[in-house]
Amino acid sequence: MPKRTDLKTILIIGSGPIVIGQACEFDYSGTQAVKALKEEGYRVVLVNSNPATIMTDPELADATYIEPITSTFIEKIIIKENPDAILPTMGGQTALNAAMDLHNKGILEKYGIELIGAKVDSIRKAESRELFHKAMNKIGLEVSKGEFVKNSEDAKRFLDTTGFPIIIRPSFTLGGTGGGIAYNIEEFEVIVNKGLDASPIREVLVEESLLGWKEFELEVMRDVNDNFVVICSIENFDPMGVHTGDSITVAPSQTLSDRQYQQLRDASKKIISEIGVETGGSNIQFAVNPDNGRIVVIEMNPRVSRSSALASKATGFPIAKIAAKLAVGYTLDEIPNDITKTTPSCFEPVIDYVVVKIPRWDFDKFRSTNPDNDVLGVQMKSVGEVMSFGRNFREAFQKAIRSLENGRAGLGSDGKDLYSYEYLGNLGESDRENLKNKILTKLKTPRSDNIFHIRYAYLLGADTEEIFVSTKIDKWFLNQIKEIVETEIELRTYKFS
Amino acid sequence: MKKINPEIIRKAKLNGFSDKQLAEILNTEESKIREFRFENGIVPVYKTVDTCAAEFEASTPYHYSAYEKYNETVSSEKEKIIILGGGPNRIGQGIEFDYCCVRCVTALREEGYETIMINCNPETVSTDYDIPDKLYFEPLTVEDVLNICLYEKKVKGIIVSFGGQTPLKLSKELEKRGLKILGTSSEDIDIAEDRKKFGKLLDKLQIPKPEYGTGNDPVSSIKAANKIGYPVLLRPSYVLGGRAMQIVYNDSQVENFFKEEIEVSKDHPVLIDKFLEEAREIDVDAVCDGKDVYIAGIMQHIEEAGIHSGDSTSILPPVSINPKSLKQIKNYTKKIALALKVKGLINIQFAVKDNIVYVLEANPRASRTVPFVSKTTGIPVVTIAAKIITGKKLKDFNLKDFDKINYIGIKEPIFPFQKFPRVKMFLGPEMRSTGEVMGIAGSFGEAMAKAQESTGAGMPVIGNIFVSVNDNDKKNKTIEIIKKYVELGFGMIATGGTSKFLNDNGIKSEPVYKVNEGRPNVVDRIKNGDIQIVINTPLGSESRYDEYSIGWEAVQNKIPFITTLSAASSFAEGIKQIKEGKIEVKSLQEYYK
Repeated sequence: MPKRTDLKTILIIGSGPIVIGQACEFDYSGTQAVKALKEEGYRVVLVNSNPATIMTDPELADATYIEPITSTFIEKIIIKENPDAILPTMGGQTALNAAMDLHNKGILEKYGIELIGAKVDSIRKAESRELFHKAMNKIGLEVSKGEFVKNSEDAKRFLDTTGFPIIIRPSFTLGGTGGGIAYNIEEFEVIVNKGLDASPIREVLVEESLLGWKEFELEVMRDVNDNFVVICSIENFDPMGVHTGDSITVAPSQTLSDRQYQQLRDASKKIISEIGVETGGSNIQFAVNPDNGRIVVIEMNPRVSRSSALASKATGFPIAKIAAKLAVGYTLDEIPNDITKTTPSCFEPVIDYVVVKIPRWDFDKFRSTNPDNDVLGVQMKSVGEVMSFGRNFREAFQKAIRSLENGRAGLGSDGKDLYSYEYLGNLGESDRENLKNKILTKLKTPRSDNIFHIRYAYLLGADTEEIFVSTKIDKWFLNQIKEIVETEIELRTYKFS
Repeated sequence: MKKINPEIIRKAKLNGFSDKQLAEILNTEESKIREFRFENGIVPVYKTVDTCAAEFEASTPYHYSAYEKYNETVSSEKEKIIILGGGPNRIGQGIEFDYCCVRCVTALREEGYETIMINCNPETVSTDYDIPDKLYFEPLTVEDVLNICLYEKKVKGIIVSFGGQTPLKLSKELEKRGLKILGTSSEDIDIAEDRKKFGKLLDKLQIPKPEYGTGNDPVSSIKAANKIGYPVLLRPSYVLGGRAMQIVYNDSQVENFFKEEIEVSKDHPVLIDKFLEEAREIDVDAVCDGKDVYIAGIMQHIEEAGIHSGDSTSILPPVSINPKSLKQIKNYTKKIALALKVKGLINIQFAVKDNIVYVLEANPRASRTVPFVSKTTGIPVVTIAAKIITGKKLKDFNLKDFDKINYIGIKEPIFPFQKFPRVKMFLGPEMRSTGEVMGIAGSFGEAMAKAQESTGAGMPVIGNIFVSVNDNDKKNKTIEIIKKYVELGFGMIATGGTSKFLNDNGIKSEPVYKVNEGRPNVVDRIKNGDIQIVINTPLGSESRYDEYSIGWEAVQNKIPFITTLSAASSFAEGIKQIKEGKIEVKSLQEYYK
């Protein structure tokens, strides 16, 4: 289908300031979208309150507004610029929320403006747990047991049906702000109340815990003709319970059988069709029970996301650019692949390397009386991330660690270890056993420095099974780390002269 | 012990070990490992990211290293410039440097150079393969950058001044290997970063600076602090974003500073500066070609000196600096830029107290305020700087004065306190904001209202204000500010001392308990929705670390939490503007006309 000629001016909404949970990945997607739409001859109007972005450079859009991203201000821009459509899928949750607000206040209707990229109904279906769960049930996919509640009494009623641990997620907040995992009734009450306060609509989801399950994400795209492609599969190194933004992630997925992968792929196609994202990219998250392979759909983002930036960089497939073109009517088979120039965008990317992403935290900036400030959970805390390529996981993993610029040159043995190799080697039998057990206990709580402790555990003679019991990190990943440690031990039998 | 051989090193490389790790494990130096690798031909090849596992022909210039046989990239015969990116986002080094790198690459492409970008942050625009001629997605370490620089032919030089502190840290090592760093020389950068050398330079130029000293341990630091006179600002050398900086008021606070985990060594002592209390702080971004200096923007901070510039709200152009001081600032900027032989950008921070202009620091590189300056003035500052680095002169550009603009830009920081329960919320010399928003408008109040609206906290136009000011702030200036709020129709709620102070000066206020005085206290009142704005000024050694439970409650309830009088005053201007309904939108393109 050719591009739409009924549209002349398109308004793109940016993502506003950099906050934890929404960083410069949306400058990347927004910049691509502005360029792509201008390339197609549309007049592009942009609003973003963040001056440090490339997208707000005056030569990019035709009219650039550095103004607050609120319905009041966007309406003023609409009156001045008279756009035919708004593309709300490039600016993260901020843009999507703003678009929904414009719809709810009747502003879109009043000025006859169409949402492109994602329709109001699709956004609602994807964002409202209730509608999303209904939709998943309709197409025969499982979701985690959960309930939306607006007060702590209802939350407690649900708790009685599941028991601990239990997850609390406030509705409509960024990066899970105000959410958490409760292990006892006291924590439960605190987190529920905090979550209600954090939610703009005073609503939280109380949800059965899938802690310890494996977590996967698929970055997918769909066009108006229902063509569907998987751009990339991403596996979380950390099990469920750690926010994806705080998890080490790996692309392509490493521990799925082909059968399982195809199951996720088929499920993704059904999901994007049912939710009705007609044109563009989505991110779909799954949890897989390592014991029996049970698949549960966690959520879907009907927009480009942090993960789609990662998937774009990992594969070379420019998701945001293609999504912008799909939004104005092109189909995947009509858009040439940027890189090969000869194949169309409906060819799924194939990668022959491994990509690892590691988050960067700045906990030392927020020294606090709270000893658990650096515990990783459902609320994202990292402020940035690095990615690296390797021919295998081990290479990409160590390269990513040294990319972080936090003083580490790889997975330990870099002069910065808490326990040096010599120290560990010189421990007596019982000290060794004690330290090993101490570390295995520590590893039960996800923290930013756990990967280094996995190395200490191996050096102290722990086996993969023991470390798995503590961390619930897939044994394939643990064995990769073991191989790194074994290589180190082998290197130590050599002398440099 | 076996003698080292190429096979085991190759194996280590396939497992991702860095030269630094190998040096540590094999008890030698990193450079020795590197020599061994090069002697034995253990160097990476570069593979291409092509979406199709090499099934189809691809010409993407997007690469990564691998210790394998087949190389998938060629180095062209064109003259090249390598630009080093900023690495992962962190507090103190974020999207601003991605902006600078991208603009630099674009400018150099315009000049006809082949541009090569090295960066490892997947969130950025600079790692979009569309931006540079060639992209290497690699760690920004000496090892990985050197491998690329030695592989590429006809490299004119490397640019390290747009990616924040990350690339700067590599420049000395790269120079040692015979690579050319473009722009301001590393000796001159060193003069700016080294307190002693920079102090000497300022003395020579007869430019005032706060008194300073250094210390390696508590004893020598206390001695130095007493010589300078409290309060003093303590900080470890070579840091960005003011990591572990502190303002201290007495000897025991100096001791406590050393108890926190800070890395101090002979080479990197603790820097001790006189802290100018209640001084006005100014940020200047300028471009220099070695002969002429262009002042791109002068920003006045709303907060007094002592609060990290990245955490301050900045106004461009300045609104309340007297013309004589402004002239002085421009004059000093030119002198310093020329003395440091700057080629490209320089950022200088000033403090003005009692009409004396002091220089706090100078950084001859792109600063985090450069994008804000560009967006406000419409002058493509980075583009100009990048072209100057490659040989153009300032007179080649037809530049207008930044202060000829007839509107105002305000940059306001965004903090992640909601994510970190119970952290101290009062602002200080250590930067903690993750991002920023901008308000641009014809008047100060309107720009302020827009910036505040963009932070998400908004500006309440009705309700009650909780006021708690310290003894230093119990003065006429405070009364004037509070009166503004009273005129806007706000009610006042205050604790004992402040309440008395207000009543004595004819402002009615409702008394409320402090947190430990009884119930319902101020925190209860915030929870109950009785308070819409908090104005709470801490100062001095004790109050700075006190009462942050009020701030924490305010943040949780999305209530504006204002900690300085100057911010309170600006805030009132914004509210006034909103009440009068005079807020319009205007595109940048219209402003620049």
